[in-house]
Amino acid sequence: MSEEILRRFREIEETRDFFIVGRKVARVDALDAVLGRPIYTADLVTGRPLYVVAVRSRYPHARIKSLDVSEALQVSSVRAVFTHRDIPGVNDAGSLIPDRPLLAINKVRHIGEAVALVAGEDYEKTVDAADRVLVDYEPLPAVTSPFEAMNPDSPRVQEDRDNVVTHFKIRKGDVADGFRHSHVVLERTYKTQAIDGLPLEVEVAYSFWGEDGVLNCISTMQNPFDVYNKVVSILGVEKSRLRIVQAATGGGFGPKSDETPIDVAAYACLATFKTGRPALAAFTRSEAMTVQCKRHPFTITHRVGVDKSGRLLAWKALLVEDTGAYISKGHLVIGRATFHCTGPYEVPNVWADGYCVLTNNTMAGSTRGFGAPQSHFAAEMMMNELAEELGLTPLEIRWRNMLRVGSLTATGQKIEDPGLELCLMRALEASDYERKYLQYKKMGDGVVRRGIGLALLYHGNTLGPEGDDFATVLVRVERDGSVVLQTGLTEFGTGAITSLVIVAAETLGVPPSSIRLERPDTLAIPNSGPTVASRTTPIGGRAAFDAAVKIRHAIASVASEMLGVPASGLEFRESRIYARDNPGKYLGWKDAVAECYKIGVELKAVGYYIAPPTRWDPETGQGSPYNQYTFGALVAEVEVDTETGVVRVDKMTAAYDVGRAINPLGLLSTYESGSIMGLGYAIMEEIIHRDGYLLNPNLQTYVIPTTAEAPRQIESIIVESPGPMGVFGAKAMGEIPVVLPAASIAGAVANAVGVFIRELPLRPDRVLKALER
Amino acid sequence: MKSISLRVNGRLYNIEVRDNDRLLEVLRDVLGFKSVKMGCGVGDCGLCIVLMDGRPVNSCLVLAARSDGSEILTVEGLGGEKELHPLQQAFIDVGASQCGYCIPAALLVSYSLQVGKRNPSSEEVRRALRSVLCRCGSYLRFEEALKVAGRDERGDSEKV
Repeated sequence: MSEEILRRFREIEETRDFFIVGRKVARVDALDAVLGRPIYTADLVTGRPLYVVAVRSRYPHARIKSLDVSEALQVSSVRAVFTHRDIPGVNDAGSLIPDRPLLAINKVRHIGEAVALVAGEDYEKTVDAADRVLVDYEPLPAVTSPFEAMNPDSPRVQEDRDNVVTHFKIRKGDVADGFRHSHVVLERTYKTQAIDGLPLEVEVAYSFWGEDGVLNCISTMQNPFDVYNKVVSILGVEKSRLRIVQAATGGGFGPKSDETPIDVAAYACLATFKTGRPALAAFTRSEAMTVQCKRHPFTITHRVGVDKSGRLLAWKALLVEDTGAYISKGHLVIGRATFHCTGPYEVPNVWADGYCVLTNNTMAGSTRGFGAPQSHFAAEMMMNELAEELGLTPLEIRWRNMLRVGSLTATGQKIEDPGLELCLMRALEASDYERKYLQYKKMGDGVVRRGIGLALLYHGNTLGPEGDDFATVLVRVERDGSVVLQTGLTEFGTGAITSLVIVAAETLGVPPSSIRLERPDTLAIPNSGPTVASRTTPIGGRAAFDAAVKIRHAIASVASEMLGVPASGLEFRESRIYARDNPGKYLGWKDAVAECYKIGVELKAVGYYIAPPTRWDPETGQGSPYNQYTFGALVAEVEVDTETGVVRVDKMTAAYDVGRAINPLGLLSTYESGSIMGLGYAIMEEIIHRDGYLLNPNLQTYVIPTTAEAPRQIESIIVESPGPMGVFGAKAMGEIPVVLPAASIAGAVANAVGVFIRELPLRPDRVLKALER
Repeated sequence: MKSISLRVNGRLYNIEVRDNDRLLEVLRDVLGFKSVKMGCGVGDCGLCIVLMDGRPVNSCLVLAARSDGSEILTVEGLGGEKELHPLQQAFIDVGASQCGYCIPAALLVSYSLQVGKRNPSSEEVRRALRSVLCRCGSYLRFEEALKVAGRDERGDSEKV
């Protein structure tokens, strides 16, 4: 019976018109932000904690011959110095793969690797003491090119592991045959750079003992449970003795899902554990920019064959990814990059090899887009170059090859919805692309030249093969009718938690403002999986829906009695419960809740969802690695100054198939956010390693977009082609808008000046050099 | 140590500061105005911007002793929950806040601009807000918020 009602509710939710979903709803955390409330980790420190400062490697690769902490301990106000010998549990801080010591043992493998920790009362003196930890290094040859590192004779970065961590393969059809039948075969190599995700709030953790004997740690992060599990193991304590609470988090962008949040939490917790004192571990900006996981630099070589009409026949790809000295998420990033390496096009014959390689550069890991920006840049440039060779426009070659309903991807997965074509049509119409492309191509001799670029996207949704794609959300209703929602999925800027509130509000028929959020707290909630892969709205939304439906079911059983209407005939909206067939008959939400309390009906539910498992063959890459795809089309219009080489992005027209727009206002922010971050990747940003040393870990020489570089206009177009997995048909969106700008802007530059620049970023010197050719 | 007196959000404070104390730490750690964020500590990011005698300054680049006698405005003084400043309301309405970390600085710069000129041009807005880094890329939202707030204020004055 009750299963029947639950099922009925689900049907109603999936078919009825929405009351809240799809309307503009202000973010749940916007008020805190505009009032400047003290909600971030550093704002919450009380009293006088010990400051914990790391001693970091000055070499990209060196043996530690000896380590002398005696002088540091002499500095007044220093309370303790910790080395790897002082770690009570397991000295490993690798977020997924246990290859990374929290504190170096006898070797450092990248610049900035932590060797020791100093804890002191006074911050400046503690920094001074950290300088007095004497580390005697014997420098070792550093391997800083992934191509060198792939050579079997190359020194190993990690002694017990080959430098090639992962070899990812796609084998579809017969590429040799495809090339034989090709009219044109082009081979091109594209290079992308390291960038820093650069959340403006740096990593910081604050720890203290609670009166209940629990070690508390408040910190800024995406994945509280990853941090919790690692710190438990590093300290070697019972799971019940540690609590991790996520404070408001000033930006994530990937780095805050990887290694560094584990590091700062472990530094602070170790100091508190050893000294009993509250402790604060916070990075400086340059420290953060040194050790935060970067976006992986890639070198991608494509060899592609097409027939006379421009139809793709064969695509051979080699992707080499530099993951730095420790793996972090490199083995997964290469997977996503390789799966997407042919772009959103149907190719009958594909042969791709993707390698994740260790070097003595600083670590790369998750950064918004997770391999997709690199992959799309190379694929989209390749399509532009093929078009040029065949005398087609970039649109014509895309039109002939793009994924449509029934098309097969590079992994042989059948496309089920028309999202890509819908996005393309809308973007073309709004931007007047084709006319402008031909116009700009003709006018070629002014100093400042205009160009327009088009790029298309498909993005396999959420974790797919990258992990268990589950989420939990807790919902309870208080006696006064207010609703409380808590989850381990985190807010760090994306707005996705507001989507969960909207889903719960929609399902319960109450206003979003009546739903209160509690902070993620590892002692209060079940593991909710990581907040990565743009999965909070689609996957977390399913869990929020599940929890809300359970609550609704409980209330309906009571309301049904009170109204004398079968539960399945009730409708929840505007804080009332109506008899669907007789809208004059209704019950107030609060009255129904009060009745539930009175008769002892529990209004508390754990919502859970796990995505269907995805299957693919690791030997051939064939199968369905993702449950659904987000699609998109981005048109960029640029001005290139041929005297200075400066590229200015004037306008972007962005059309994304979001499946279902849960919160259009949030989507607008997300579109613009990704567009501007992607613009930085396209034309400005580059973390520069030279022989393993970092040249620019600071904001004077690593420059990100400001209002001066932001496009004059970003036109955001919402396309809704519902997917089978996400809540109400929603698709992954948080990362997606960052994927295409580089491809689209580089295409626009080619349209403006007639030269394909195959290396990012499109710096002025690089543009000028290309113009000389 | 030096005795200084400064007015923050309208209230007078007499405090002792060391020669090398910066306005940033005095505002955050001594006086408790936590809306003032530290992003880099060397004047690159603009997150610690406050208005000093009406002008935006990076509080990490101002010695506290130099703020003697000055009038400081932080976001805590711009408006409260019950009486939001129109710019704060506009920031909420147009979706300008994402991670929220740069919002106090962006609001103060926007406010100082609006005080000087009710409807600044797009170029003026961009020139002024160039001092604040926003990694979430809310720049076009800030511009929109200034437009909306300017419009609303004009509406108000017409009513009066």
